[in-house]
Amino acid sequence: MKFALKILPKPEVLDTQGRAVEGALKEQGFDLTSCRVGKYIVLEVPANDSEQALQKAKLMAEKGLYNPLIENYELEQL
Amino acid sequence: MKKVGILRFPGTNCDRDIWKSVELQSMQPEWIWYKQSFLPDNYDAYVIPGGFSYGDYLRSGALAALSPAMSCIKEAAKMGKPIFGICNGFQILCEAGLLPGALMRNEKGLFIDQWVNLKLENSSQWSPFSVGQIFKMPMAHADGRFFISEEGYKQLVDKGQIWLTYADNPNGSVGNIAGVMNEAGNVVGMMPHPDRALFSWMGSEDGLEFFQWQDASGVNQ
Amino acid sequence: MNLQDKLNLYRIQPNEYDRICELLGRAPEGVEWAVFSALWSEHCSYKSSKVHLKKLFSQSERVLQSFGENAGIIDLGRGEKVAFKMESHNHPSFIEPYQGAATGVGGILRDIFTMGARPMALANYLCFGEPKAERMTELVRGVVGGIGGYGNCVGVPTLTGQTNFHESYNGNILVNAMAVGLFQEGDPICLSQATGVGNWVVYVGAKTGRDGVHGASMASESFDEDSESKRPTVQIGDPFYEKLLIESCLEVMKEGLVEAIQDMGAAGLTSSSFEMADKGNVGLTLNLDSVPLRDPTMTPEDILLSESQERMLLICKPEKFADIRAIFEKWGLDACAIGEVIADPVIRLMWRGETLSEMSPKMVVDNAPMYERPYNSWQPPQKTGKVSLSISNASEVLLNILNSVSGGSKEWVYRQYDQRVQSSTARDCSSPVGVSALPSGRALGMVLGCRPHLMRQSPYAGGVDSIVYPALELASKGFEPLAVTDCLNFGNPEKPEVMTEFVSSLAGMNEACAAIQTPIISGNVSFYNETLHKGVTPTPSTGLVGLRENLDNIPDSDLSCDGDIIFLLTFSPSQSTGLAGEMFSQKAQLNYDFDLSGFKSFLDGLRKVTSANCVRSTRVVGNFGLAYTLARMAIAGNRGAKIECDQDYFAEPLYQVVLTVSASQKDQAEQAMNSNSLRWQKIGFVIEEQLQWNDLKVDVAALKENYEGSWRKAFPRFP
Repeated sequence: MKFALKILPKPEVLDTQGRAVEGALKEQGFDLTSCRVGKYIVLEVPANDSEQALQKAKLMAEKGLYNPLIENYELEQL
Repeated sequence: MKKVGILRFPGTNCDRDIWKSVELQSMQPEWIWYKQSFLPDNYDAYVIPGGFSYGDYLRSGALAALSPAMSCIKEAAKMGKPIFGICNGFQILCEAGLLPGALMRNEKGLFIDQWVNLKLENSSQWSPFSVGQIFKMPMAHADGRFFISEEGYKQLVDKGQIWLTYADNPNGSVGNIAGVMNEAGNVVGMMPHPDRALFSWMGSEDGLEFFQWQDASGVNQ
Repeated sequence: MNLQDKLNLYRIQPNEYDRICELLGRAPEGVEWAVFSALWSEHCSYKSSKVHLKKLFSQSERVLQSFGENAGIIDLGRGEKVAFKMESHNHPSFIEPYQGAATGVGGILRDIFTMGARPMALANYLCFGEPKAERMTELVRGVVGGIGGYGNCVGVPTLTGQTNFHESYNGNILVNAMAVGLFQEGDPICLSQATGVGNWVVYVGAKTGRDGVHGASMASESFDEDSESKRPTVQIGDPFYEKLLIESCLEVMKEGLVEAIQDMGAAGLTSSSFEMADKGNVGLTLNLDSVPLRDPTMTPEDILLSESQERMLLICKPEKFADIRAIFEKWGLDACAIGEVIADPVIRLMWRGETLSEMSPKMVVDNAPMYERPYNSWQPPQKTGKVSLSISNASEVLLNILNSVSGGSKEWVYRQYDQRVQSSTARDCSSPVGVSALPSGRALGMVLGCRPHLMRQSPYAGGVDSIVYPALELASKGFEPLAVTDCLNFGNPEKPEVMTEFVSSLAGMNEACAAIQTPIISGNVSFYNETLHKGVTPTPSTGLVGLRENLDNIPDSDLSCDGDIIFLLTFSPSQSTGLAGEMFSQKAQLNYDFDLSGFKSFLDGLRKVTSANCVRSTRVVGNFGLAYTLARMAIAGNRGAKIECDQDYFAEPLYQVVLTVSASQKDQAEQAMNSNSLRWQKIGFVIEEQLQWNDLKVDVAALKENYEGSWRKAFPRFP
């Protein structure tokens, strides 16, 4: 089973990467309100049922793939 | 006196080192701010220094490659002007499409600062050196693993575009590649730092002569 | 909220609260709580240490700026000056190692360029717990990554460092960062004193977010099981932004556009505004609603306490503001006026047209509590006669030491640091002394001190050592030590035994500084380094800076040429069982038999010998004693040695230095040592392949293999 794990800096945390990309795009003349940069991870998990697989993927996310201090994540089955 | 344009992006940090290197060759360095536009003939040659343009965010060199100054550099490249990218400058030239390949995260995922030995594989316009010559200089980067497709690699070999290779591959680069050139040989890029090997007290003087080039007629500058 | 809850939240003691009420003539209200909480925290006020810090030896002819500003400055002559300072970021690094260490580097760099100096070198002093301790691999990896990530990107080389491991740091690591900045001829020194009624207060750099709110009071607290819940205050560092800030700030200072400047560090806007006004004997109006915010829902209290990184506060004449803004704009940064200097000596905090508070900065800053915390009487260690380690099979023991995390290679750490950006590095982290070339062609040396195992034996002797050992390392490479910065990491100062450690180690440092005429010109104190009531080893780390007249012929640190003669210089018969004693669980012994007053002439004599171009290599005999020192030299040069010397293999002498000299320069070297009244003996010569000393016989290849394999053994899962 495949899952997409999307990780973004928390809204209240300074997103240094997003700030730099936003600045560069604006310098290019693009009009944008904000930009945030995160990570996209695809996990393929062996499991018997989707609930079990989801739990496994969730555990992987929470045990280190995302940093709860500074990031939020979303998990989506593909 | 020959005039060398040194590009500065927000986050460039070896700009002053290149300035020193160019001065040591009795040439006139001049800054080019990334927002600036210029004509190819304004300078005799161009150097893009190392550093972390735009913090290396998104991909090393990617955001800098979009700048007005880089559009002018593309024009200069077409006209055969000598253009030299070091470290982040190499990454920028690849991102701008002026050099083949891409520079990815080092094999072990870590930044590496160490001394390396390099071998000259093919002469470019920038190297008044003989093929097979060995140079000792430092490297310092996290994103220096040269990557190119198998097909692309074959082309590099066939067309003699491999400029420098590592004696002992430190970062997992394809074909031990440390530096490449474009087909015409006027645009070159390398990951290690000749600008940090200028005097014996630095540990090597091998970098000094990298800041020289031959003009189209083959005369050393 | 009742009073007790409020006192807990703002970490104000009941007696301090009474004092606040007395000063104000009423109870504090609204944001005043936040102001007192920040400025009266241990971190900002140095309330437990100030009494003792005042006694430090801090002056010499070269000192241009000592304590009281962002960093100390010394004059190198010939138009060159350097500013330097060391600071801790222990607690934030334990909570979030990458960001904690990174922002530590960012903060110390701002202290340097705030004064107008261009940052030229970094160093870091790290103490970790045992590799197998909980979270330790994550902490080591994160801290090293954070230091490298920030320093490399901002373009300042890391020239030296020290990494220690001991169980006392298992629950409280130490992350101390030092920065050095250079002033060239004509570069102005900028100070933080606000002046000129009618001048503007200008905010530059990153927008303010909720990062680190209540951070300063967090740093003044020990860790407990709740630390997890304190997490949301993590500050995020952006070295790219800092680089822009360095360039733009140096430019406005060089153009003479600013009257005063201060970075917003611990306790952010509060401490910078109150301190700037206090120093200048003026007042300030601050419009908090003009502060650029990342999050529009922030309250005035959040704004006052935010520790968002990469922000500066400056004072300028109103007519200069447009020029300042243009320079910052060029670098892609914002500058905005948020207030004005006023004659009334008060900080007037405004919010949406209303006055939130009006307090005298003098009243708040100068009345910060100052405690003479109780401590016990203490004695310097005594002469006890020769120490001895009972170790058999020296060859195997030496290999075990080299293969341990304390005795092994730290290359994994320092190769993640850019040591050569700026093209001025003459000696990198692989050398005992980091060396940078000055524009004048002279050499600036940099080395860190403090050996925790000696601190565990005697805080006094360890304090002396944290000055004289690095000074000796400088002299061994021909450098004159010029000045010291320190970072005093201790446990809970409310405990008399911790305060005793603090007072006695400071006494040792102070006596040593006076003896070698090398002042302490800047520093930082970090208390409450403890977890679950167990304090760390008292660790007063130091950074010394030295000067050498030229860059050529700086002695190396290896055995490189067969036939070279090996000399041993000895200062005193003092010895400790040292790290080897600790490692092999032997009874700690310290024979303390030396006269500090003679140390300066030893230092000067050594420096003269090592600047006379007759010495090939030098190394101070340090941790694990003479056999280990020779082994390190052997590994570095891939050569062995034949040694004859009546001395314990592994006991640590206080102090000895190994010198190697080519056979042709033997007479010259002996003469130089004699004419400088140095006590020396010839102990052997360099040979190929093997280290031989009585029953100790090991191939250099084996030394190397064990030394280089140590890190992988301690951290098998690291890349």
